[in-house]
Amino acid sequence: MTRDRRIALWGLSVPLGLLVLWQVLALTQSTPLFPGPVKVGVAIWSNAPVILSELGITLLRAAAGFALACVTMIPLGIFLGRVRILGVILSPLMDMLATLPPPAIIPLVMLFAGTGDWAKIVIITYAAAVPLVMNSYEASLSIHPMLSRVARSLNLSRIETMRLIDWPSSLPMIVTGARLAIASSLLVSVTSEMLLSTNGIGTYLQRSQETFRVDAGLAGIAFISLAGLIVNAGMARLERRWLFWHYRDKTGD
Amino acid sequence: MTSILTADAVGKAYGTGSNRLPIIKGLTLSVEPGEFVSLVGPSGCGKTTLLMCLAGLLAPSEGEVRFKGQRVTDPPIGLSVVFQDYSRSLLPWKTNLDNILFGMRRVTGMDKAAKRDRAMEILSAVGLTGFDGHYPWQVSGGMQQRVAIARGIAAQSELLLLDEPLAAVDAQTRADMQDLLLDLAARFNQTCLLVTHDVEEAVYMADRVLVLGPRPTHVVREIEVDLPKPRDQLATREHPAFLHARHEVLALIRSMRQRTVAA
Repeated sequence: MTRDRRIALWGLSVPLGLLVLWQVLALTQSTPLFPGPVKVGVAIWSNAPVILSELGITLLRAAAGFALACVTMIPLGIFLGRVRILGVILSPLMDMLATLPPPAIIPLVMLFAGTGDWAKIVIITYAAAVPLVMNSYEASLSIHPMLSRVARSLNLSRIETMRLIDWPSSLPMIVTGARLAIASSLLVSVTSEMLLSTNGIGTYLQRSQETFRVDAGLAGIAFISLAGLIVNAGMARLERRWLFWHYRDKTGD
Repeated sequence: MTSILTADAVGKAYGTGSNRLPIIKGLTLSVEPGEFVSLVGPSGCGKTTLLMCLAGLLAPSEGEVRFKGQRVTDPPIGLSVVFQDYSRSLLPWKTNLDNILFGMRRVTGMDKAAKRDRAMEILSAVGLTGFDGHYPWQVSGGMQQRVAIARGIAAQSELLLLDEPLAAVDAQTRADMQDLLLDLAARFNQTCLLVTHDVEEAVYMADRVLVLGPRPTHVVREIEVDLPKPRDQLATREHPAFLHARHEVLALIRSMRQRTVAA
C-alpha cells in the first residue's frame, strides 16, 4: 500500500467515525427530531423520487435565469469595456449592486412580479447578472493593447475582433464570473422558493421543517450538495477543455 | 520604378495646446521594391510611433503615407507588421499553424487546403517543421518570433515592417534570426523596413540605412550600404565598407546625443 493511500484511508476514518458517533447519539436520544444516519439513509432512499423532481424544478429555474444572464450580460460587459465612456458611467452602479446580497431583492420583486416561475427567473437572472457583467467588463478592459493592434493590422472588422480576439482572451475571467453566477443562481433559486412557492426543493425543505421531518430535510440537503458537486465537476471539465491555454504548463523558456 | 512605401512630410504629435508633444516632424522617406531598409536612431526618438504611422495603425497629424501609391489610412493589404512583443502578438489559444492561418484571413484566391499548404511551407521556411501543432507558449522565445514573422509573410505580404523584432532574443539567436530574415526576404520577395536601435544590426541587414534624429524626429542622413550578398556574420562584419558605414552611423548618433545632453 502506498503512503498516499494509507493517508486517504485515515482521512476516510474521520467521517466514518463521525457517522458512528452520530448513530450512537441518535440511539440514545429516541426523538424524531434527531434522526440517525440509518434513518436519514432510509429517507434518502424513499424520498428520492419526490426530491429529485422538486430539485429538477429548482435547477431548471436556476439554469433558465443563468442562461438568460449569460446571453445578455456577457456581450454587455464586453461592450461596456470597449465603449469606455459607458463603462465609466455605469461602473459605480455595478460596484453598488455587487455588494448587495441578491436574496435581498426577492420580497420586492415578488410584490411586483408575483410568485410565478417568471418572477423567480427574473430574480435569478439578476443574481447571476452582476458577477457576469462585472467580470466580462473587467476582462475586456484588461485585453492587452497589443492584441487590438494585431487585430487591426490583420484588417479584422469590429465584429470579427470581438468574436475572434476579445471573446477568447476574456474567457478566463468570464468563466470565473460564471462560477460565481452559478453559485448565486442556485442560492437564489432555493431561497426564492423558501419565501413563497408551491414547488421546488426550497419548498420541500420548508415543508419538512413545518412537519418536523428532519430526516426528509437532511435527505433534501444531501441531494442539493450532490447536485452542486456535479455542476462544479462539469464546470471544471469545461474549463480544462476551453482554457487549457490559460492554465498552461510552460515547457519553453 | 515606383516606390512601394513613401512618407511625405509626416508629422505626429500627442496631446493638444501646451501639452502638445511633437514626436515626428517633417519626416520624408521612400522604400523601393525589393529593398532592405534599416531605420536607426537614438533611443526614445519615436521609432515605434513612426512605424505605427507607416503601418496605418496610427494616423499621422500632418503629411501622408502612401503604400503602392495609395494613401494609407488603415493597415493596407500587402503590408505586414512584425511586433517587438512577439509573445503577446500571438494568440495563445491557437496553435502555431492556426496563428499563421489567422494571418491569412484576408488572403484571397486560395482555398482552405491551399492556404494550409502555404502556411506549412512558410512554417518550414522559418525552421519550424514539426512545430505546427504546438502552441506558442510551448516553444522558445526565438521560435515564437519565427511564428510571428511567418504570420506576417503568410498574409500575402509584400512589405514587412519589423519593429525591433530581435530586441528581446538572446545574442546567439539574434545572429541566426538576422540571417534567417535576410534569407526569407529574398525567398519570399519581401521588401523590408527594419526598425532597430542596434547600429551593427542596421548596417548588417540593410541596403540602405536611414538615421533618425532626436525628437521630434525626421531622417537626418541616408547611408547606402554597399556590401556583397549574401551577408555573412564574419566576413560582412569585417568588411571595410561595413566598418565605414557603422562608424558613420555611430558617430552621427553620438553627436546627436551630445547635442541633446548639452541643450
